[in-house]
Amino acid sequence: MQVEAERALSRQFAGVVAPLALLVLSSVSAAAQNAPSFTGALDPLFQGVLTHPGRLDNAIQYASTAAQDGDVESAISAYEQLLFYNPRLPETRFDLAVLYYRLGSYDMARGYLQSALNLPNVSPDLHQKIDQLLELVNKKLYPDQFTGFVQSGIRYQSNASQGPGPQTKLAAGQSVNSAFAAKPDWNWYGTFGLDYVHDFEDQTATTFEASVLGYDAQQFTLHQFDVGLLEIRAGPRFSLAPGNANAVTIKPYLVATGALLADTPYSGGLGGGLTLHANIGTVSLDPYAEIVRQSYINSTFYPLASGLTGTLSTYGLQAAGPIGGGLSWQSRLAYAHAEDQFAFDSFNSYTADLWLPWNFYVFEGGKPWTLVPSGGVTQWLYGAPDPSINPAVTAHTTEWRVGLGLEVPVWDKFTLASLIQYRDDVSNVQSFSMHDLAVTAGPTFRF
Amino acid sequence: MVPHRIIAVLLAAALTIGPTALAQQQVGTATAVNPESDSTPPGGSTVALTVGAKVVHKERIHTTPTGSVQLLFLDKSSLSIGPNTSILIDEFVYDPNTNSGHMVAKLTEGAMRYVGGQLSHQGAVTISTADATIGIRGGTATIIQGPNGTEVINHYGTITISNGTGTITITRPGFTVTITGWNIPPGQPARVTAAEISRYLKYLSSQFGQDGGIAGLKNIQYAACGTTTTQACPLPQWLSTSIGEDNGFQVIIQATQHASQPPPPPNTGGGYTGH
Repeated sequence: MQVEAERALSRQFAGVVAPLALLVLSSVSAAAQNAPSFTGALDPLFQGVLTHPGRLDNAIQYASTAAQDGDVESAISAYEQLLFYNPRLPETRFDLAVLYYRLGSYDMARGYLQSALNLPNVSPDLHQKIDQLLELVNKKLYPDQFTGFVQSGIRYQSNASQGPGPQTKLAAGQSVNSAFAAKPDWNWYGTFGLDYVHDFEDQTATTFEASVLGYDAQQFTLHQFDVGLLEIRAGPRFSLAPGNANAVTIKPYLVATGALLADTPYSGGLGGGLTLHANIGTVSLDPYAEIVRQSYINSTFYPLASGLTGTLSTYGLQAAGPIGGGLSWQSRLAYAHAEDQFAFDSFNSYTADLWLPWNFYVFEGGKPWTLVPSGGVTQWLYGAPDPSINPAVTAHTTEWRVGLGLEVPVWDKFTLASLIQYRDDVSNVQSFSMHDLAVTAGPTFRF
Repeated sequence: MVPHRIIAVLLAAALTIGPTALAQQQVGTATAVNPESDSTPPGGSTVALTVGAKVVHKERIHTTPTGSVQLLFLDKSSLSIGPNTSILIDEFVYDPNTNSGHMVAKLTEGAMRYVGGQLSHQGAVTISTADATIGIRGGTATIIQGPNGTEVINHYGTITISNGTGTITITRPGFTVTITGWNIPPGQPARVTAAEISRYLKYLSSQFGQDGGIAGLKNIQYAACGTTTTQACPLPQWLSTSIGEDNGFQVIIQATQHASQPPPPPNTGGGYTGH
């Protein structure tokens, strides 16, 4: 029975992973098809430019087609040809800035953007796009680059404890501890993320990167679930081919984590990892491997927490790419293995997540709104039956989650963010099953 | 396919006919010309350059203080040539079937921007000046030859600069090297300034009031990004603000599962992993 159940869960997992893999492969395949070729579809247009450069419709079509097909340098030559014919074209300067940006030539991108802004005939819509790209380019040109967000707000949860129903029975007929049974609650939360990059400004393109993620939530009633988290990752990043903007980079890093629960220390972790970054066409890939030694501390509410002490190894792949029309995708696939003090706390887990951020404009000349549908699944397969729950059953749990987020620009770098998320944990152990609806809203500052 | 066959046949014919015919073989086209700009083909007399004029081996292009030119080559590379510039297209050999060949040009004075094509992707493009020999792989670069020497600005790819003292390589976009003499070691790569970029963007194109020899281009639509038929304009990658929330939920799920049950009995028999 257990084997069949695991197979069923694996089939469910595969059902989520397969579309993700198809999305990645189709994007990569499309990129491969876009590779410029002398004998490709551009040739008639190119021949037309060579033989009759003054035929504007052909020249414009050649420039546009080259840009869309990813033949960036040919597109640059073609748009610079058009600028020779009329240097007062802000749209062409913007297009050239985008193309140079795609080559990693941020100084040229900035030059074209600034020259476009100096022209009198820039539409509000184009001005907005130029400002956005200029901000991005300026960041890339600083030796010390900071990006991140700060967010605060309130959240309602139908199941703040993430626990089972109060009638749930454990082994020997005992009921679950009522302090951890499903109950609704509100909380105030604050979170921030900071990414820092220091460019050593040498010809090896080596950088030092650090990221910090912080989170704190204070419950209105159920204070045993007040939680605080801090994660820090830092390490150097090396380019394997510095002359190539799309070269693979590699980053070894250290990681440190800490958590408070019920306003008392709960866990701490120290470890290291290795991650790569590669671009294939328009798809970015970031595989990683990370091992963290975690220590848990017993407390009044959590007297058995130290049993979770052990090593967590995670192997994953983060990927992202554009789809078109302001729509893009991001995904995460991960396998984790926890080797804890007790075998029944040890687990293997498989995770797949997909986000589809969609930038769209509501007002002409305004900033984009962002709608983010998301979905994911995690499957935990524990190492042994928990004798206090059911000595005959090894737990396996599958969590399904769906969400919908919306970020509305308010002013400058401030947005109003809201997120509705539903998660459903289905387990062969009754006390591990639960479901929760969370609704979150709060102002966000992105920089 | 026909035009490529024609090019290949012409190249093959040129090779068999001999050096004189090869020298007359078209290797590119003048796609934009602002007066006064002129050209001198090998063995020919200097004539005013016009849009659509064929560019051949050993052709020298010269621009006056108001002149500027863009050349487009068979391998899809281009040269933007600024005012007061003199450049010789010394060699250009390209086989479109194998995308192989090489290009050699000599910049005597002035400024030019090379935007790469098939030959530079093979690392087969060389620009020489009085002070250095510059190899381009990738690649896109601005090269200036003035009274103070040669300046090379890398925009993309790998630029190898050699002279009588050795070789230095620029691998990152936005870095520049100045070479003040053939027997003087090149300086170390340094960040190019925004002012320099701005100056050469303006210098290596038409000035306001010029039309590159083709009048009537009033407006064009976005093409690189920002329309429903093209990819999204570059924006910072969307960064989820709910990562901390998700991690917090996992901490609570794990803690609740652990705390909602009574303590395990002693001697659980094999459950202890020995950490």
